[in-house]
Amino acid sequence: MPHPLEGPFAVEHSARLLRNYRYVVERALRAAGGWIALTPELSAKLLLGRHVWDLAQHADAFGRRLPELRATAHQGEPANAAVVAFMDAVEAPEAPHETVERLVGVYRVLKPHLLAVYSQHLARANAVYEPPTRQILARCIEDETRHVTAGETILRHLVRTPELEARAAARQRRLEPLLAAAGGVTGDVPPDAPGGTASPAVETSDDAREWIRLEKAVGAWPMPAGLADALRAFGGALGAGDAAAVARWLAPGTGWDIAGLGARAPRSSRIVAFARIGRQCVVKLALDGAGPTVTLQSRWVPGEAGWRAAALEILGRDPAPAVLPPR
Amino acid sequence: MERPIAYDKLAREDRFVRMRARDVADLKIAQGLPPFPDLSSRESIKERVHGIMVGELQAMEGAGRSVCDFPEAPWEFTLDMARQVWDESRHVEIYLRLLEHLDGFAGEFPETTILWRCACAEDAAARVAGVNRGLEGLACDVFNQLVHIARKIGDPVLERAVEFVLADEITHVRMGSKWLTRLTEGDPERRRRAVEFQETIDERFNLGGVRREGEHDLVPISIATDVRRLAGFTEEEIERLIKTTQRSQVY
Ligand SMILES: [Fe+2]
Ligand SMILES: [Fe+2]
Repeated sequence: MPHPLEGPFAVEHSARLLRNYRYVVERALRAAGGWIALTPELSAKLLLGRHVWDLAQHADAFGRRLPELRATAHQGEPANAAVVAFMDAVEAPEAPHETVERLVGVYRVLKPHLLAVYSQHLARANAVYEPPTRQILARCIEDETRHVTAGETILRHLVRTPELEARAAARQRRLEPLLAAAGGVTGDVPPDAPGGTASPAVETSDDAREWIRLEKAVGAWPMPAGLADALRAFGGALGAGDAAAVARWLAPGTGWDIAGLGARAPRSSRIVAFARIGRQCVVKLALDGAGPTVTLQSRWVPGEAGWRAAALEILGRDPAPAVLPPR
Repeated sequence: MERPIAYDKLAREDRFVRMRARDVADLKIAQGLPPFPDLSSRESIKERVHGIMVGELQAMEGAGRSVCDFPEAPWEFTLDMARQVWDESRHVEIYLRLLEHLDGFAGEFPETTILWRCACAEDAAARVAGVNRGLEGLACDVFNQLVHIARKIGDPVLERAVEFVLADEITHVRMGSKWLTRLTEGDPERRRRAVEFQETIDERFNLGGVRREGEHDLVPISIATDVRRLAGFTEEEIERLIKTTQRSQVY
């Protein structure tokens, strides 16, 4: 039986591990904070928003423990250059359509790895003289378990087409070798260490399920009488490429022409946004056709002849369909 | 990572309609409506709550950018901003649920982004002055009034939830005051610029006479003098704000 005062870590080694953790956690924290504004999906925004503070507290706890281990407070340090390269790759996806890539990097690669590394560290840290470190690790393990579960719940909600599944898998396949090449965040985790990069067993998180519910809060747009019919007819006219029929739905003096949509008429239209300004309504139509999806924003005003569009504006042509399905 | 990001990179789902605040106000005035929703009916309270929900979203996004954009700032600054992200994420959730409580939904009214633009200031001191003192000060005014109105109309759900949000906002103003002082220590010019930025925001959010000193049920947005004192605004600052609102043109 080992002596209770036996331990695998010297003080310097323990400090080095905490510096390594602090480096990656601080980078993940700053990336997650910055991504909230760059991520369109509400559920993913709330996921990141909830976890930024936990990550900050982890980095803070590691940083404050350091001087107790004869090291400089709050000084993170990458284990090696490959860890820097791995974190560069994790934080690289910044485009609005790359939410899946962002979340896979953090919630399917980095955090499961941190969970495994913290757990191994806790199992080995001496119970007599390292309780201060053990307490920090125990708290981080608890938080990371919760984070990974919530992240997985949101990912399953967002990754709902074969194309997105392929993108998520490709992202994981790209990052895992980088992490393995670095020897994990501490530079000394063997590539076949248990639980290093595996997805954890998934239980859905109640919090995350609630964020998804809040994201999908409206079932049907509460349209005023007549507007839904007007929009259906207007969409039909757009789909038929019938300029005269389109013009009949425009308020007098509205200078807009179907030619603004380009050569290809949309095959179908669906409402993606409905907002009210007093008695007027702003409606966003996603126009699907052979080419890229076009978003047309229109403002509708009620009048004696019924609803008419008083302003129309093409907002953009998405290169890829939105992550969220049409409602 | 790109630091800071251009203000037009703020990402939204399709269901949100983004418009200029001025355009929304003009369209309402043309229909004979007040440019800013008052609190006279459940419908107008819902519209106000929607505006606040979007504001909380932008506050969360702005605080997140402050965590990201200033790695050179003192660590405690990042810590405070990260705490604020968490608080604002709860506020978003609270207001989404309040919106449901009022039979509304996210995207029901256009989103304007003047608040987010303020959160894009390049200097950390200007950002905390503008956002934490200017905008969170405005939040104190708006929430304090909303608590009062909720109590008056007998809506304990609205009252209790907003009261807790208000408590957080007071903390955020205090953070702003702390970091405005600490980040500009020994640099009066930087402090002057940051305070000036806050004052332009205060002026802007007087909303042409919408924010005023007065009874909660009589003015569209009442200045929460007691709450502002609690949040650490000086008597001089409160008096100056009241004066600027008297100076602002009525819309
Ligand atoms: Fe807030
Ligand atoms: Fe706040």
